[in-house]
Amino acid sequence: MPVQVKINGIKMSAEPQETVLQVARRSGVHIPTLCHLESVESTGACRVCLVEMKLGGKTQLTTSCNAGVEDGMEIMTDTPEVQKHRAANLEMMLGRAPGSQKIRALAREYGVYESAYVPSEDPAIPGCILCELCVRVCEALGHSALAAVSRGGKKYIGTPHDKPSESCVGCGACAEKCPTRCIEMTDTKKTRTIWGQTFDFVSCETCGAPVMTVRQRTHAVETKELPEDYYTTCVACKQKNLAGRFARVGS
Amino acid sequence: MEKTYVVIPKNCTGCRTCELACSMVKSKRDEAGALGKPRIHIYPTGPQRYMQMTCLQCVDAACVKACPSKALVLNEETGAVEVDEERCVGCGLCEAACPFGHIRFDRDLGLPLKCDLCGGDPACARFCPYQALEMRP
Repeated sequence: MPVQVKINGIKMSAEPQETVLQVARRSGVHIPTLCHLESVESTGACRVCLVEMKLGGKTQLTTSCNAGVEDGMEIMTDTPEVQKHRAANLEMMLGRAPGSQKIRALAREYGVYESAYVPSEDPAIPGCILCELCVRVCEALGHSALAAVSRGGKKYIGTPHDKPSESCVGCGACAEKCPTRCIEMTDTKKTRTIWGQTFDFVSCETCGAPVMTVRQRTHAVETKELPEDYYTTCVACKQKNLAGRFARVGS
Repeated sequence: MEKTYVVIPKNCTGCRTCELACSMVKSKRDEAGALGKPRIHIYPTGPQRYMQMTCLQCVDAACVKACPSKALVLNEETGAVEVDEERCVGCGLCEAACPFGHIRFDRDLGLPLKCDLCGGDPACARFCPYQALEMRP
């Protein structure tokens, strides 16, 4: 049974399993997010997707990424109250990640240019806003190599006991999706170093360029129903080789 | 699917206008810098011979099979396999899985780049001066 909600005064029909963010985006209403991906669990960690929600005479601020819609809900996505709280959250995040372009750009939209907040001690990972998107991405990929370690001001993201994780395959998805790009990943032609561990690359059969890490390949061969020899050539050589093959067929 | 994307290599002069047109229409994000990266590439295959290479939009695509987050979805209207940026987890398996090299994982954006037929009206075909790329009924 679809439910009826109002977003910024406009009536919308929604499915009961949908979140406020999904309905808003579907109807073309922009809500900023930093730690949200449709394919992983939403935790509302970054709190920039805050909206004002009115239900049964009660108004409250809530994170839209993990709030389910309910019949009769009235949602306002851009009130002064919402803007004030988003700005405050962004100022705190800017204090932790002053070098992040994404956070700087979003903070600027809310009139925040500098942060009065400074982390009380040197963070284990500079620039980390502890949104745990990396943890959730890793979990969604079936590796679960990362977790939040310690509590309070000392909390940081790491591998179990800060030792090289056996389940990490070195795919680098955590680093790619990190909103502040604070996860250190160093690639050379032969190896990738991430989370205190160095992985060997599968080298392209034709040119020697890296294709993926050996461990990621092993995992892919085990879990995907694709032939093993799919992962032996780099993207540029694959295309070039195919162009040559097409040309021979054509001539 | 009303029209089919057709590649006619014998008409191609290797001018690479298609690559430029692709870059231009795909460069909407400020993060990527001024120009986007093209989803079509021209390869010289002999004297005065060129081959245009872009996604074949496979029906039973390896990239779709490899994607762990269902971020590659078939647009039934255009027949193109499209990237759902809100779902991509950035593992890069699509690039490794495609046997043809037609999907490239961009480490700056954290997203794969592939041809989506521009929603049914591809810029490369519109801009090709020699009718080497066409949308045919």
